[in-house]
Amino acid sequence: MESHRRTANDVSAANRNLAGIAEPVSHLNGHRSAAMDATSFHEASHRILTTVNTVIDGKSDAAKLALTVLLAQGHLLLEDVPGVGKTLLAKTLARTIDCTVNRIQFTPDLLPSDVTGVSIYNQSSRLFEFRPGAVFANIVIGDEINRASAKTQSALLECMEEHQVTVDGKSYRLDEPFMVVATQNPIEMEGTYPLPEAQRDRFMARISMGYPDKESEIEMLETHQSASPLAKVSPVVTTAEVAAMIATVQQVYVSQAVKEYTVSVGRATRESPLLRLGASPRSMLQLLRAAKATAALDGRDFVLPDDVVDVAEAVLAHRIILDRKAAGAGETAHSVLRGILSRLPVAQKPADTGARASAPAGRNAPVAGLSRNH
Amino acid sequence: MTIAPARKPGTDRQQPAPAGTPGRPRVGAYPWVMAGSIAFAVAGAAVSLNGVLRGWAWYWPVLTTVLVVSLTLAVLRSVRAQPLLVTAGGFLSLAAILTLTFFRSSSFAGILPTGASLSELDRLIRRASETVLSETAPVAPNVGIVMVICVVLGLAVILVDALAVPLGMPAATGVGLLAILVVPAMIKPQSVGFWAFAAVVAGYLMILACSQWYVPDARTPADSARSPGQVRRAVLTGAVAVAATLVLPLAIPGFDQGTFPQGSRINPWGQSTGLNPMITLGNSLRTPAGSGRITYATNSPAPLYLRSVTVDNFDGDSWGPDDRNASRRPLGNQIDPGYAVPDMQQLVTAIDAGTFTSPYLPVPYAPESVRGLEGRWTWDPATLSIKGTDTTSRRQEYLVTSTVPKVTAGLLARSSAPVQGIADDFTRIPGNIPDIVRRTADTVAGSDSTPYDKAMAIQKYLRSAEFTYSLQSPVQGGYDGNGLSVLADFLNQKSGYCIHYASAMAVMARLEGIPSRIAVGYAPGRLTGATVSVAGQGALPEYEVDARDAHAWPELYFQGLGWVPFEPTPSRGVVPDYATETSASSAPNALDNGDDLVPGATPAPAPAPSAAPLPGPEAGVTTDTGSQLLPWLTGIGALLGAALLAASPRLIRAGIRARRLRTADPAAAVPLAWIEMVDLGTDYGLPPQPSETPRAYSARLRGSQLLGEPGGMDEAAHQAAAALTADFERQKYGPPLGGEPEADQPETARKASRSSEITAARIAALESAFRANSPTLRRLHAAWLPASVVGRFGRLLAVPFRAAGVAVGQAAKAAARTWSARWSGDS
Repeated sequence: MESHRRTANDVSAANRNLAGIAEPVSHLNGHRSAAMDATSFHEASHRILTTVNTVIDGKSDAAKLALTVLLAQGHLLLEDVPGVGKTLLAKTLARTIDCTVNRIQFTPDLLPSDVTGVSIYNQSSRLFEFRPGAVFANIVIGDEINRASAKTQSALLECMEEHQVTVDGKSYRLDEPFMVVATQNPIEMEGTYPLPEAQRDRFMARISMGYPDKESEIEMLETHQSASPLAKVSPVVTTAEVAAMIATVQQVYVSQAVKEYTVSVGRATRESPLLRLGASPRSMLQLLRAAKATAALDGRDFVLPDDVVDVAEAVLAHRIILDRKAAGAGETAHSVLRGILSRLPVAQKPADTGARASAPAGRNAPVAGLSRNH
Repeated sequence: MTIAPARKPGTDRQQPAPAGTPGRPRVGAYPWVMAGSIAFAVAGAAVSLNGVLRGWAWYWPVLTTVLVVSLTLAVLRSVRAQPLLVTAGGFLSLAAILTLTFFRSSSFAGILPTGASLSELDRLIRRASETVLSETAPVAPNVGIVMVICVVLGLAVILVDALAVPLGMPAATGVGLLAILVVPAMIKPQSVGFWAFAAVVAGYLMILACSQWYVPDARTPADSARSPGQVRRAVLTGAVAVAATLVLPLAIPGFDQGTFPQGSRINPWGQSTGLNPMITLGNSLRTPAGSGRITYATNSPAPLYLRSVTVDNFDGDSWGPDDRNASRRPLGNQIDPGYAVPDMQQLVTAIDAGTFTSPYLPVPYAPESVRGLEGRWTWDPATLSIKGTDTTSRRQEYLVTSTVPKVTAGLLARSSAPVQGIADDFTRIPGNIPDIVRRTADTVAGSDSTPYDKAMAIQKYLRSAEFTYSLQSPVQGGYDGNGLSVLADFLNQKSGYCIHYASAMAVMARLEGIPSRIAVGYAPGRLTGATVSVAGQGALPEYEVDARDAHAWPELYFQGLGWVPFEPTPSRGVVPDYATETSASSAPNALDNGDDLVPGATPAPAPAPSAAPLPGPEAGVTTDTGSQLLPWLTGIGALLGAALLAASPRLIRAGIRARRLRTADPAAAVPLAWIEMVDLGTDYGLPPQPSETPRAYSARLRGSQLLGEPGGMDEAAHQAAAALTADFERQKYGPPLGGEPEADQPETARKASRSSEITAARIAALESAFRANSPTLRRLHAAWLPASVVGRFGRLLAVPFRAAGVAVGQAAKAAARTWSARWSGDS
């Protein structure tokens, strides 16, 4: 185990340059959070999930996926019919972490400046002052995001991508961690502006909550009768802890075999005759990040193909577009993805991936890993 | 029921609809292409009839008929005639072309049949029926049979066309084509033949392609996305077809050789040995497994020929035995050979005819008396053939007393007196002898003076190295059968089998003035090793012959000595003493008689020492110990071999496992242990899916019944599976192990051996759990035919097939592209 630690540190040190490009977190904050050790990571994640599960009954999968997205530094899109607890999930997750939370209720008359902030002329100082908008928080809950006009939507989406706000030519950095949890309503079409494909791509994962099962629903009726359970929730982790967890997730090792598998998933979606648009390279990056977070939540410091499979549906389903014929034949994005994953071969024999060849070279592997990362 | 094909949308887009009347679009190339395809398929099927009919002369009238009928259909269709009118036109054109070909003299204006044509037709049909009844394939292409074939093929064209176009069932046209192929499949020994089969298949595919291209089926949209099940369905259909091909001939008793459908031969009536044994001689010789087994026991010191009938009339297209019913006498106690030879040797032979079915009784020459027969039998004084009037030789057991003149070369050489008292039948020279026969006879024997010298010269010529014994080349050369034209072919090709040699010698002997006939029967057989006790003779050695020993040989008449058999066929039978070369008569190696030799006469109690001319290598086989030990040794060897073979997958599996678990390299040990676990699961019927991750496979394994409930008796196995999976995952997907300092060697070695012990214990725990949770059958299967090994063999074996399949598929696709490009260019 000791050797793993050391290797992981080496890799993370090497990752720093790369991380500066792909993951703005470390540089934006000006310092880098130290990674957590496995035990405290497990404890922290366990605390978060337990708390969320006390509030939302029978949705532990959705809760875990939401945490996965948080740790993978992505944004979450919750899409389901009204009243199944989308907003509750978002609020609970935000509440368990000792951080700033803002909620934006998207309406058709919401303006971009309401989201990003606006410069106001201060009479006393005779200067324009920037009044930060609702987006300046660690966790931003965007309720019914598809009700806002396209202009407002894209203002938020820009913040999501850049982690900064630009007003009057001046850029303001957002706090880290920064996560947008947006909810949207698929069936209420009147007066909505559905997110275009390109903008849906900004969300790391889309989750459908689904209805709770019978027992959970009965229990929900029991516990939620008198008071909102949300009132009892108090933060269980600090922002610093979350940052450390995110750093831990970044250090999760990804082997060549898993990278190949991830790429082959992407290629399979692009080659599938049932799909008009396959998964983009950016989505591959997000898929791998989500898989890393899944592996970390599972207590591993390396990614398995299983982790990729676990998150593939949530990460990819809202990015791919079905062929018209396939849609007419009753296929859904989920069913197509499931079919692709069930047919995609996983190299099981070590000989197939050259693991046997790399095994004797095990001593040189850290060096090789470094050179790969540079 | 439309003649006008629905145009492909693509074509319509490129060229706007023609300005003709709406609802009657241009017909285009469709009728012509379709008629061409049908003509190609039917004409290709007709190719297979070569061999049923001799030569190729018959093919031109057939081709003309097929082409004219198809052309008529195409023309009528392209002028948009009514479908019924098209078919009727086909019939009319068939009648016209047949009249033109066969009844031109009696017709009106060449193509209109008259009353005289009808009587002519009647004559031709009778002629054809005679041919069918009396001749054997290949028959000479006389007018009658060719006309019948033309009619049938013309009708086939109309039938195929009707199925393909107005009825819209192009796939059913295969039935019509198959109907043509059935004839050669049943008659020709080589069945349909490759080229004919290929041509029919190509034609059939053309018909299918043509209808799909021009009249696409509305139920199968052409440009829909390729559904993923399509390939699987195609593969499944193909597999079922191949399996049916292999299984069907086994299930249907008629198919006795070859692969269905190409090369197989349907023969539902078994080996028939009917009125004309010469017809079936070639087929009998070619049967791969001997049938019609006859056993006999004899006290003859010399190899014994069994003779059933003789052929003496060499006129006509096809020879057959003459019934001689007029001169036959009922079989009594005594058969009189009709001539007296001074020095006779009497032989006793007990024969069991078994399943050999023929009206003629196989007996050694010359029979004196036959006892033990059932039914009524007659014998012919001239040929001494014995024929049943109301019964056959089937299941007959009888005892024959026969006499053989003690003929020697000296006696024969002295017999130069002119022949007397022999029926004209045996001396008559057929009228239409081909030149080559006459010329050959002159060259070979013309200079010799005595009949014996002439006979010996002919036999020596036929046994010379110029001639080769072959059962196949007459078939390939188109002269399988008998008759004078066949004889000419044989003398040209110098390759054939006994009937050709025998007839050549018999005909040439007559040309040289020696009375002759062809005897048909069996060459000397093999010792069975058993003995038969015959009253008054003691135990006699038993021999057996079957269809493969069927034989024909010439008998020549010498004044004062009677009928003397000769053996001109190389590598068959045994050359009699008197017929061997004088210089070599005492040398045993003159008898280069191949594998049909009777292994000497050692077991025979006969006193004649000169009758054992074979002290050759075969003599050693007959010692008792040798012949009894050999089967035992063979049996034990076979048993051992079978045991080894049965054990081999198990041995291989055990060897693979030992090698995996013994590996010294700790880095390689983990993946090998995982593979071993996967293979173990495969052996017990739980192979991994290609899309399954190690974790998923492990979960499935542990969730299956093979491992039982966790926490119970199989807890150790569960833990082993989990540990093996975790180790493998870490090894394969985990970060590489850090650079450990070079530990001292003993430490590393000890670690390695400990870890390999742990791995072995885990595998053993898994296996014992698997075994405990599997039914007996599965357990045995896993132990003796482990799927991991057998499957690997299967994959290796399948590699060339898969490659070939891919290549064929690509070629077909390319061809289809080319064709479709061409057709769309045309239309």
